[in-house]
Amino acid sequence: MSSVLSLQGITKNYGSLRALNDVSFEVPKGCVFGILGPNGSGKTTMLSIVLDILRADTGTFSWFGKPSSCDSRKKIGSLLETPNFYHYLSATDNLNITQAISGRGTPADIDAVLETVNLVQRKNSKFSSFSLGMKQRLAIGAALLGNPEVLVFDEPTNGLDPVGIAEIRNLIKELAAHGKTIIMASHLLDEVEKVCTHVAILKKGTLLTAGNVDEVLTNEDIVEISAADTTRLQHALQSFSGFTNIKHEGNNIQLFFPIGTANLEEVNRFCFEKGVTLNHLTIKRKSLEAKFFELTNN
Amino acid sequence: MLPLLKIEWLKIKKYPAFWWMFGIVALTYPGINWMSQKGYESAVSRKDVTGNVAKMLLGNPFAFPDAWHSVAYFSSYFVLVPAILIIMLIANEYTFKTHRQNIIDGWNRNQFITAKMIDVFIISLVTTISYTIVAAIFGFTFSDSINVTRWAEELQYIPLFFLQTFAQLTIAALLGFLLRKAFLALGIFFFYFLIIEPIIKVYLRIKEISFREFLPFEISNRLIPFLNFFGRVNKDANEAYKQSLTEINAHVLYTLIFTTAIWWLCYYLNKKRDL
Repeated sequence: MSSVLSLQGITKNYGSLRALNDVSFEVPKGCVFGILGPNGSGKTTMLSIVLDILRADTGTFSWFGKPSSCDSRKKIGSLLETPNFYHYLSATDNLNITQAISGRGTPADIDAVLETVNLVQRKNSKFSSFSLGMKQRLAIGAALLGNPEVLVFDEPTNGLDPVGIAEIRNLIKELAAHGKTIIMASHLLDEVEKVCTHVAILKKGTLLTAGNVDEVLTNEDIVEISAADTTRLQHALQSFSGFTNIKHEGNNIQLFFPIGTANLEEVNRFCFEKGVTLNHLTIKRKSLEAKFFELTNN
Repeated sequence: MLPLLKIEWLKIKKYPAFWWMFGIVALTYPGINWMSQKGYESAVSRKDVTGNVAKMLLGNPFAFPDAWHSVAYFSSYFVLVPAILIIMLIANEYTFKTHRQNIIDGWNRNQFITAKMIDVFIISLVTTISYTIVAAIFGFTFSDSINVTRWAEELQYIPLFFLQTFAQLTIAALLGFLLRKAFLALGIFFFYFLIIEPIIKVYLRIKEISFREFLPFEISNRLIPFLNFFGRVNKDANEAYKQSLTEINAHVLYTLIFTTAIWWLCYYLNKKRDL
């Protein structure tokens, strides 16, 4: 799978503060790539660098296998940090400027994207009269203009109400289904988990992990079991070997195995031989939230 | 260049301040010249000795060919009006963060500065057109049958006025670009233009330091020298006026160098700094 974006050793300092520390990863074509991190972890700084808003102190990056240029940015629909538009112009006039600069789409496509983000009724209203959610939707509309192959969204659901959040989530899924590459920074873990195929986790400018969501989240096998008599099950498991950790989750017990070593059949047979009949047996993936907290020690 | 012009026009054409500026220029340029002309008329219309002396001293600055020079001189004080617009157009980009969005959408950093230079060019052109129309109307209105045939003399003041306006609006653009806040940039521009540089000029003249012709505004002010009001009766004043005319060509060069240096600085800083 070819890379849409490749970062090699990106470092950025703000005075004595190191905002990004030797960050390298690849964004494969056609993936939904979530960039996670607490506030101040360097997500926006990183996206600003790859969009040529900030200069990296060291390191390089490339889009579509070539050094970054204005031509590569023209192929990318981006929403960075906040919706940036001319306050005295209408939605349509602002998108006319986006279209004229990027060359993405035609003036005729503007109504279509405004329809997509539910702003067609307000297309002639000044940007300054928009609510925060409407501004955000206009910025997403601008990014969608011309149906670009790559989209960069920095906190795309900022300022949106629950319906708006669900709409954007569905839109992202729909775009991904059409083969678009989406790079999305967010601190909303649930949002990322629901739509992303790949993830990178940043903490204080350092990349903790990056890769396919399944690979990142499953560095261990979690077997979840339960029985009618939990105490007896617990007692039986004391003589079971192979797992590294055991946790109680309500009526369930979770056994943590090194990745690829969990064997459900073996667990089931062991319990049965010990006289415990399981009424629940499943292998679970760690939630992104749990993984995130584990990595960032929060 | 044409696509940049088109995009800048998309930004400007619905910006209310642009049309306000256009309206104010359309009023102030004829207004200040009309007031000056009325002052002249009242001075020379007196039947006593004072009227005759005034007529002898002043000639007819609003008849051709002097109208091109006189109207340019009086109008040049109102560069403050388009300067407000330039500073606002540039500071707006930083306030709305559209200076970042333009790059994100596909401009390179040099194109952003070139676009701002186009703004300065457009505003200078609009201002120069206003001046030209006002000067032509005054010239044709106040020329007698002999003067009117001399309308094509001293047309060089049209490009000189344009260059002066472009150079001084470039300083406004630099302040907007460096300070990013309209209020601050406007305050400094006005304070320097109206107070600081005139004080420095006086100080340098008293101290007989010859550097004053290279002060940021004075470099281009000398493209349109002070009118020869006293040249007819004062030999020294007349010599000084003739001298100022001979220095115009050198100041065209100085102005071009100074203005180019400012734009080079803008390009350089914009390329290097974080947006």
